[in-house]
Amino acid sequence: MPLPQDSSQPRLASGCRWTGEGDKRMLLFPEGVLKLKGTGHAILERCDGQRTFRQIVDELQGLYSASEPEKVRNDVGGFLERLQQKRVVDF
Amino acid sequence: MLPGPLALIAEITHRCPLHCVYCSNPLQMAALCSELATEEWVGVYQQAAKLGVLHLHLTGGEPLARTDLTQLVDAAHAAGLYTNLITSGIGLSEHRLTALVRAGLDHVQLSFQDSRESSADWIAGTRAHALKVELAPMIRRSGVAFTINMVVHRQNLDRLEEMIALAESLHPDRLEIAHVQYYGWAFKNRDALLPTRKQVNDSLRIVAVAQERLAGRIHIEAVVPDYYARYPKACMGGWGRQQLIIDPAGKALPCHAAGVIPGLQFHTVREHSLEWIWRESDAFQKFRGEQWMPEPCRSCDRRAMDFGGCRCQAFLVAGDAASTDPACSLAPKHVLIEEVVARVNASSGSADHSPQVGEKINSLWSYRPQPGQ
Repeated sequence: MPLPQDSSQPRLASGCRWTGEGDKRMLLFPEGVLKLKGTGHAILERCDGQRTFRQIVDELQGLYSASEPEKVRNDVGGFLERLQQKRVVDF
Repeated sequence: MLPGPLALIAEITHRCPLHCVYCSNPLQMAALCSELATEEWVGVYQQAAKLGVLHLHLTGGEPLARTDLTQLVDAAHAAGLYTNLITSGIGLSEHRLTALVRAGLDHVQLSFQDSRESSADWIAGTRAHALKVELAPMIRRSGVAFTINMVVHRQNLDRLEEMIALAESLHPDRLEIAHVQYYGWAFKNRDALLPTRKQVNDSLRIVAVAQERLAGRIHIEAVVPDYYARYPKACMGGWGRQQLIIDPAGKALPCHAAGVIPGLQFHTVREHSLEWIWRESDAFQKFRGEQWMPEPCRSCDRRAMDFGGCRCQAFLVAGDAASTDPACSLAPKHVLIEEVVARVNASSGSADHSPQVGEKINSLWSYRPQPGQ
């Protein structure tokens, strides 16, 4: 599976949605729930079908400026790819 | 403090237009007149959400047989629950689906009995397959998460590749390849349904190939049937640990088949709050945790993974609900499972019956009838 293309616009897959606020914020999907903190949460909150993969990576780099740009790109891409396989995100 | 349940399985009716020979409903089904009223279910969903439940699985029987289904989904959604409709599709129309989605339905799980119409209808005891195939594109378009559930057993496993191809053509997000579990009607029909070892091994290979091929498009969920596994399944994620079931009459159960276990008193949501049932009732405490465990479970490294397996299966097969699930290769009574497996493997593999739809009396198996009025 390749990483998302820069111009792709990752979004939550059908039937996957956020619920709760603050510390109780979580993502519900058919088989379960993701309670994400930190990076994972920062990535998924940006999967709004508007931002491109490139924009999401750039914003994450802004948040974690100490990391190598290529590493951030691979980490974000790998994370989205795993969630696509679980049918939680589409891109 | 004891954590609340994460999922509520609501069997909102035992009425069903299908008569599947492996139905998980109990042999003694709840009659129409005993079913909880709309407002009683609404109260249950509100209590469930407060108790921490996230997912509501609406099942049956056929949940669409309840004319108030949209109201129930609406109330569950308003209470904050993620709603999943587990259905045969019979009773669904474009109009009704639109109303359900508007009410907040999140996920539809559509079951199939086979890839071929004649055998699918033979297994379901009624004509349903063609309609299911017609409904799939409508569900896909509706915007909900869409799962296809293929129930597999000896009579259809030889067509697994064809079944996967059918699912693929209907574009679900997920495909669940669910081996029959031997409770209720399936236990009664076990000798006709239990697959052979060759079928199970072939199916593992077929599933692995399909998982790889469909990765990113269709997520395939499949598990080894526990009669052929080395260790038992973590039934319900552990007794009274993550999930509870409420039957059409409001009786709360820790597992679909728990009603078969003698000496346990199950309470209804008409008499008690869901919180009391979950936290205090004897039935939910009986096999919670590890105190009840016999050896070899008590000192087993896997006891926090599989919780000793299924209590109902321990009772059904070994006659003692407090014994290690006989599906476990370490269980003292594992020989009882081995005997069934040996018997099935000694007889011819899949059946060469010529399916007769509508045939209600059949030497091979018993169809699940309708519950009483």
